Amino acid sequence: MERGYWIRSKPVYTSLLWHEKATSHLVVAQGQGGMAVLKLFQLMHPKQAITVLYTPYAEADYSKTLVKVVPEGLHILEAEQEVLAKLESVLQGMCMGMRLYIAGSEDFMWSVAKVANKFGIEDAGMMKELTGTLARPIYCVHCKATTHGVTTNIGECSGCGRMLFVRDHFSRQLGAYMGLMIDAESPGELPEIEEIYP
Amino acid sequence: MSMIDIKVAAVEQVTPLVKHFTFVKRDGSPFPAFSGGSHVVVSMNVGGRVHRNPYSLMGSPADTDAYHISVRKQEQSRGGSVFMHENVEVGTSLQITYPVNLFSLAKKAHKHILIAGGIGITPFMSQLIDLNRLNANFELHYAFRSPEHGAFADKLKAICSDKLHCYADSKGERLDLLALLSKQPLGTHVYVCGPNPMVVAVIETARNLGWPENHIHSEQFLSPGIGEPFKIQLAKSNIEVHVPAEMSMLEAIEAAGVEADYLCRGGVCGRCEVNVLESDGALLHHDHFLTDAEKAAGKKIMPCVSRARCDRLVLDL
Repeated sequence: MERGYWIRSKPVYTSLLWHEKATSHLVVAQGQGGMAVLKLFQLMHPKQAITVLYTPYAEADYSKTLVKVVPEGLHILEAEQEVLAKLESVLQGMCMGMRLYIAGSEDFMWSVAKVANKFGIEDAGMMKELTGTLARPIYCVHCKATTHGVTTNIGECSGCGRMLFVRDHFSRQLGAYMGLMIDAESPGELPEIEEIYP
Repeated sequence: MSMIDIKVAAVEQVTPLVKHFTFVKRDGSPFPAFSGGSHVVVSMNVGGRVHRNPYSLMGSPADTDAYHISVRKQEQSRGGSVFMHENVEVGTSLQITYPVNLFSLAKKAHKHILIAGGIGITPFMSQLIDLNRLNANFELHYAFRSPEHGAFADKLKAICSDKLHCYADSKGERLDLLALLSKQPLGTHVYVCGPNPMVVAVIETARNLGWPENHIHSEQFLSPGIGEPFKIQLAKSNIEVHVPAEMSMLEAIEAAGVEADYLCRGGVCGRCEVNVLESDGALLHHDHFLTDAEKAAGKKIMPCVSRARCDRLVLDL
């Protein structure tokens, strides 16, 4: 990829930090994101109420340490779907001034963001830390299917089977990177497929 | 900047200090459509000097036959609002700019809290119509000095019914911002238009309660303050312009025949921003647009409301 190449839509993630001014805090994390939560709790504790939703993922399971570190309001859940369901019920009772913190893979963070969007929480109102894998969710601009966890520069669409060039162009609405057919001009002729999002 | 020729079709005294004007196009054709919260800049020839003041459009955005504005007679007027009150009558011809919206509603908001102080009600008059049409969840909180100064209160009651909350200072009624903003559902946006202390109070209260910046909206057109006269050099035009005490830099530049860009003329939009090439004194920034760091750096100035106290000020114009 060309040096200095930059696409405005590509999200910029940061490290989680407590918002000094908030009336409550909601932390949602997955797998390796548990470490981001632990780091957050190494910082000075906010006085306001804190809720933490966590789900282990693959080998990354910080549940045991989180139970020791998070004083109250911790919910360990088994899978992403449970996190999203719990999130939905938690958000229902919350007011403006609540700040949302998300840590995990891009797939996970944008699934959480989609639920938060339903409650009128906008992108700028969420803090996100990318942890663990760099694997990308890819939206096929041809058949509109989303393929999750793509780690290569070219990936096969789970919807239509086209080989997609994985771009940096990101849609916050869809929570995925745009992928477009790489061999449309010359069917079957593919550059070398490399893992660049391990 | 292209202008629309208008004629005053009606004038109504709304409160002891506020007059309402209805404009129609001179050629009888419909006006361009606009969105709630838009404003136009009205050009007035006051004794040979052109005044350009921004006013919010108040009518229904769906009505393109007429535009409506309200003008509060300012106690320390530089001439514009007094001219509107004393010299403009039915039949008067004026020019206005095309509408511009610097105070639009947030499309994704789940709830809208509108807070108006006095004449600050005007941008909300058109927004309310949009909100009603969208069947949106909103509340209007309107504070004024005393009931006689509560312009359009009856009309508002008809538009908003139980969504309207009025506070008359003379009756000791106060809007408790902390109570109002501390228990709003997620997805709420707050909008404020009114006198400076009110705008600052709303912004600060929301921020301190953890509201994200992009959920807080404000509009406050400043009138260019009266100050010390000074001189400026325009580098590109290669002329020196004298800025009198009661004229803004932008007005002086225009009077000198130099065309400068502008939109709001109230220190909000940033369109008239000019690079400062040289200065040997203090820039008196009065705008809401530049960040504190930019103001301190002294490389830019908004000539619509800001002034300077220096012997040499060279602008890139």
